Amino acid sequence: MIDDDHLLTELGEALVDGSLTDEELLARTSGPSPVQILPEANVIKIGGQSFIDRGRAAVFPLIDEIVSLLGRHQMILGTGAGTRARHAYSVGLDLGMPTGVLSVLGTFVSMQNARMLNYLLAKHGIPFIEPAQFAQLPLYLAERGAVIFFGMPPYVYWHQNPALGRIPPHRTDTGSYLVSEVLGTRSMIFVKDVDGLYTADPKKDPGARFIPRITVPELRALDLQDVVVERAVLDFLAHAEHRRSIQVINGLVPGNLTRALDGEPVGTIITAE
Amino acid sequence: MTDPADPDPEKGPKPRHHVRSRLMRESLLDREVERSTESPVYRMLPEAHVLKIGGRSILDAGRDVVFPVVEVLANCLKRWKLILGTGGGVRTRHVFSIGIDLGLPTGVLAQLAQADSLANAHMLGTLLAPYGVVAIPPEIFGHLLPLFLHSAPGVVFSSVPPYSLWEHPPGVGRIPPHRTDAGAFLLAECFGCRSLTLVKDVDGLYDADPKLHPAARFIPEIDVAELRRRKLPTLPFEQVLLDLLTNARLLDRFQIVNGHDPRRIQAALEGRHVGTIVYRNRA
Repeated sequence: MIDDDHLLTELGEALVDGSLTDEELLARTSGPSPVQILPEANVIKIGGQSFIDRGRAAVFPLIDEIVSLLGRHQMILGTGAGTRARHAYSVGLDLGMPTGVLSVLGTFVSMQNARMLNYLLAKHGIPFIEPAQFAQLPLYLAERGAVIFFGMPPYVYWHQNPALGRIPPHRTDTGSYLVSEVLGTRSMIFVKDVDGLYTADPKKDPGARFIPRITVPELRALDLQDVVVERAVLDFLAHAEHRRSIQVINGLVPGNLTRALDGEPVGTIITAE
Repeated sequence: MTDPADPDPEKGPKPRHHVRSRLMRESLLDREVERSTESPVYRMLPEAHVLKIGGRSILDAGRDVVFPVVEVLANCLKRWKLILGTGGGVRTRHVFSIGIDLGLPTGVLAQLAQADSLANAHMLGTLLAPYGVVAIPPEIFGHLLPLFLHSAPGVVFSSVPPYSLWEHPPGVGRIPPHRTDAGAFLLAECFGCRSLTLVKDVDGLYDADPKLHPAARFIPEIDVAELRRRKLPTLPFEQVLLDLLTNARLLDRFQIVNGHDPRRIQAALEGRHVGTIVYRNRA
């Protein structure tokens, strides 16, 4: 079906001539379904405030577990920011920093956490890569079985404002999730310090009930004051072509990450539908 | 519940170690906490004007269109500091079509698009070089922008925002939703610039595409709420600008002008209404 006289497909001609705000044209751009760039890899986001800020007591057992999984599961490890980002955001908001500058500040903290994990895993040959080095990610993954990146998406000054307040709305949950979506990975696991999603914050409300599995529309219907992952992740799940489910697990429980990677439900699974 | 051995995240065997701040211990996903973070925003470049020079509409149209635009921009550079973003034009549409055909996802398409807009930035930068204006590499552009603008009358940048692999999955189809209009908008908003002007090849917004419907009616001004209500079949700017303008704290409008009559570019910078003005909220 290759016609030398036509340099572009019919869709190509429509894209060159048409308007990219035309819904009918946009609807035609959804097929064929995208390739899975790294179908064997798993994206694992390690929480900042929830995990790394707990220091050695929480981080060392997880590092041991990650090392024990090398060779069995390919892991793309993203890092959260945590309490220092909250400090930087507090100071920055008081000084009138725009959301784009707050995004830069959050990136720095998530980068510190990535560097610390990197040094703890360095003897196993695990590299830390910045967004500009993502082209090398497949090689590192094939060679060493894991890489570390900072979870903040690299929007910096181009970070869009939230509807409510001024904290950057697309933080390390979102950045990690988008890596799993674009690379078409096998799973997206959020390592936090709670078992998953509750009907209220279990740290504040002892009556909070655990939710093992839920869809995005069900979650929206609950209209929770607080959620376990950034709301943008839920928005993107609904639009995603590959990564239509995520899992939130309690990384403080030894073995949970292994079980999750082996396909066992150990936390809350949130699905697009 | 949580780890039975660790019922309180602040105590127990694996406590969190905090830095004291207003947001300490808070969930940043709590709506009340989010609401509490509203605060006035400092303007970094309040005198600078941001212009997005269309790819397909201006730069791809060749010398007859581009040279008069460059002449007007050169004049404007004597009076104002200009930040000039460039569209990617027809080559971006082409790479999208090939990428989609090869099954590449939205984030990859967004990454590929950077090259075309950057090439156009270099062409515009070459034409403006006699006036001290060049294209700045994206890696250093944002951080050094205030320095560049202090030292030169203007700068040219690739207007594709750095979303790349982290581009948001669109609701419909696979085209990256944040393209060069969005890049110019987000930059103008973050740096608190004086105005945003989108230079295209139409006079502004019509109730239908004027190239296909000669009887289409011109809309000189409109706000986001009304635009959403009217559900026009096409827009002369990226759809995502409606969301970005809704949530903007500093920009309260942008203007679309026809660069095929380049005097309108200067008029727009003078604050005149020469195209369509889209307001955040036309009260």
